[in-house]
Amino acid sequence: MTIFTDIFNIWQQQHFAMRTVEHLKLFFFAISISVVVGVSLGFLLTQIDSISTYFFNILNIIETTPTLALLVLLIPLVGIGTAPTIIASVMYCILPIARNTYEGLVNVDPNYISTARAIGLSDLEILLKVRLPLSFPFIAAGIRIASVFTFGIVTIGGLIAAGGLGQILQVGFYRQNTQLVLVAGLWIGFLAILVDSLLSFLQNYLERRFAA
Amino acid sequence: MIDTQIIIKLIQHIFLTYTALLVSIIISIPLAVISIYYKKLAKVILLISNFGQSIPSFAVLALVVPLIGLGLQGAIIAILIRAMLPIIKNTYTGLLEVDERVIDYTRGMGLTRFEILWKVRFPNAVPEIFSGIKFAAIMANSIAVIAALIGAPGLGTIIFTGLAQLNVEKLLLGAIPAMLLAVFMEVTLSILQDELTPVNLKS
Repeated sequence: MTIFTDIFNIWQQQHFAMRTVEHLKLFFFAISISVVVGVSLGFLLTQIDSISTYFFNILNIIETTPTLALLVLLIPLVGIGTAPTIIASVMYCILPIARNTYEGLVNVDPNYISTARAIGLSDLEILLKVRLPLSFPFIAAGIRIASVFTFGIVTIGGLIAAGGLGQILQVGFYRQNTQLVLVAGLWIGFLAILVDSLLSFLQNYLERRFAA
Repeated sequence: MIDTQIIIKLIQHIFLTYTALLVSIIISIPLAVISIYYKKLAKVILLISNFGQSIPSFAVLALVVPLIGLGLQGAIIAILIRAMLPIIKNTYTGLLEVDERVIDYTRGMGLTRFEILWKVRFPNAVPEIFSGIKFAAIMANSIAVIAALIGAPGLGTIIFTGLAQLNVEKLLLGAIPAMLLAVFMEVTLSILQDELTPVNLKS
């Protein structure tokens, strides 16, 4: 039984509940911005198709940058804390979301579009009622990849004073407190799997509902 | 003085990243090959890789330390855990998704199972395998940076010193070489991929 009291003590001392809320808030805030920016950008790129290849190549370079290196490169520009963490998350997540949105919108079966045009739908209606719903499964897959990235970056954000569960890990590492590191590591891993599972349900639902 | 320091750290960093990546490739590819013949193993591996890939690298590092310990070993094991998953998954899907008709033709021509694997499945799976390896290389480099926190040598040590002293110059001296290394790995792997891709798959 002592192991449970140990875990409970660690939980209380390090304010796990508060840190978890902080962590999830930061996660949802960052992923929401990424979704809005990513989907809009994906749509814009379908309109100006000529630059899309260059654009995705540039985003690809950001994607290769080590997370902590990108966070640290933002510090001289925006300081430490939540700001660089959110900006870095969005920079990483634009690519998977924008690319999937772009692919989804571009790869809609032309038959559907000509049928919609034949029954008199305007371009805007075709976009909102045909192309976008048919792209939902693609977009959801992009968001799921992005959410894994975001969760990882928010965790590392703990190292540059963004708060959240990463901060507990940092404390654990600096004090060489193995118990604390293990409890925090397991809890973060569990939360990450939980979030990813929820999104995978959503993705499966959208696939069944909107698959062409 | 600072310059020689950075070069030493960079060499240590490159050593850590490439060793871990190479070991991941050496373990993952045979595992993926075995999985295409044993479906039960494949199910287990894909399940682990689906869950495992959603766990943040920082949390993996935290879980490795109490079990393996601090320093270089801990860092290499943490990278292995994260880097193996995409390589296994992509190699498995790449080898399996080769057009069944092509496999049938070659079987009809009298090729053995091994020849089909080596001369048909592998060349056709090159793009898929390399996208796994490239992703693994990015992960390896990224984890190598944060592994400085558990006492692994490399560029991360400069970054953490910079963070502790809030010294922007040190932050940049650590972060920029790490970023350039990532681009270098991506480019060299792309060149290698291009060399290995069979003519019929090139666009």
